[in-house]
Amino acid sequence: MADSPVTITTPGSDDAASAGPSPQEQKQMEQAYAQMKRKMSMEEIGRNIKHKIMVLSGKGGVGKSTVSTGLALSLAQQGYAVGILDIDITGPNVPKMMGLDGRRLHVENKRIHPAQGHLGVKVISMAFLLEDEDTPVVWRGPIKLGAIQQFIGDVEWGELDYLVIDFPPGTSDEPLTVAQSLPDIDGMVIVTTPQQVALLDSRKSITFSESLKVPVIGVVENMSGFTVSGTASPGSEFSVAAPGGKTITTSADGEGNFSFTLDIFKEGGGKSTAEEFGVPFLGALPFDPGFVRGGDDGVHRIVSEPDGPSAVAFSKVVAAILDQLSDGSDGGLEII
Amino acid sequence: MTETLPTLNKLERRKQDMELTYDDGTTYTVAYDDLRHACPCAKCSPMRNDDDASRTLRRQIEALPAEKPHIRTVGKYALGFEWQQGCSSGIYRFERIHDLALRRDPDRGRPYVHGAW
Repeated sequence: MADSPVTITTPGSDDAASAGPSPQEQKQMEQAYAQMKRKMSMEEIGRNIKHKIMVLSGKGGVGKSTVSTGLALSLAQQGYAVGILDIDITGPNVPKMMGLDGRRLHVENKRIHPAQGHLGVKVISMAFLLEDEDTPVVWRGPIKLGAIQQFIGDVEWGELDYLVIDFPPGTSDEPLTVAQSLPDIDGMVIVTTPQQVALLDSRKSITFSESLKVPVIGVVENMSGFTVSGTASPGSEFSVAAPGGKTITTSADGEGNFSFTLDIFKEGGGKSTAEEFGVPFLGALPFDPGFVRGGDDGVHRIVSEPDGPSAVAFSKVVAAILDQLSDGSDGGLEII
Repeated sequence: MTETLPTLNKLERRKQDMELTYDDGTTYTVAYDDLRHACPCAKCSPMRNDDDASRTLRRQIEALPAEKPHIRTVGKYALGFEWQQGCSSGIYRFERIHDLALRRDPDRGRPYVHGAW
């Protein structure tokens, strides 16, 4: 390594300096030096980023990346400097949602510079390193761990107010590595959907947070309810067959407008899980097909409809998160 | 039944225990050994599922030297206790601390399910 200042001498040998280290010793020294530099860099990055939020779910398919990008964009919408780190190495899809599909990372002086997505949100993702999106990443633990540490330690984030870290589903190596590498993580946001199996896995995530010593900021219930709206004869009443054998009775207002919410999975599951574990419930996000279209088109719902119902729901969740992270969060508790 | 949790206003760390003062005027004492035995982390919790293991955990805790913990707040809902020796991983929700103050089982009789590992 050209910039390694490390040299080695063998004690008791007069010509040790001229003999120099063996190639194996030199390699070990270089690795140790690189590791030390990365550790120092991670600590510095930790200081330059005011708040770090992990976004996890116990189960796949609950819309975790949608929530991660939504939180990042909603924070950016409020004027904060935000970055998003897509740790989902095997299935990275944050760039697509942020309109950065096909982008490559810029590397200068051995430092990785993040891409900038909507609203100036800085993005780092494994997707930027893939030759094509159909190529799977088949990495075992140590390689994955090295890549994550590189993504934390070798990235030039600059000063950020918030870094949102999106993980693959489950409670595996990735959150553990990040929790051990990045200092002062504020906490985890657990994403769930209302159905029982997702809630069961969310409970695992909450327990996991206690093991990692990273607090749970709260639980977000995604795909909470689908709002149907339309027009009918003013004042007319009608019934709709809803999931679970329920019947919703609603009526059109004086101008003929109506809207009602279908709880496609169930209702209130995220809230009851949060209550059961005594962690904050941050809010429910509506089931919004626009997220699917937006994800595919690379224009996030919050960007395309900044005042729409989904953007409003996200801003409420963000407000709940900021409330949890606010100074004086001990509620005036005096500890002597 | 939903119980209204009083707000913890003051926590005084003493040599062997801590004194808790709530906003409803109530004051309680929780021994550090009881607090540590009720650690909610994934390592300590399963030990309370079994009576023998629970007693072992208790003995391990009682063998530790007495010390005042460093206390940090966790969000608005919990406290973390850091000890020089022994487990410091548990995040204690205020409900849990209140249960301990009232000498109630903070696990509410539910066995710990090792979901994460």
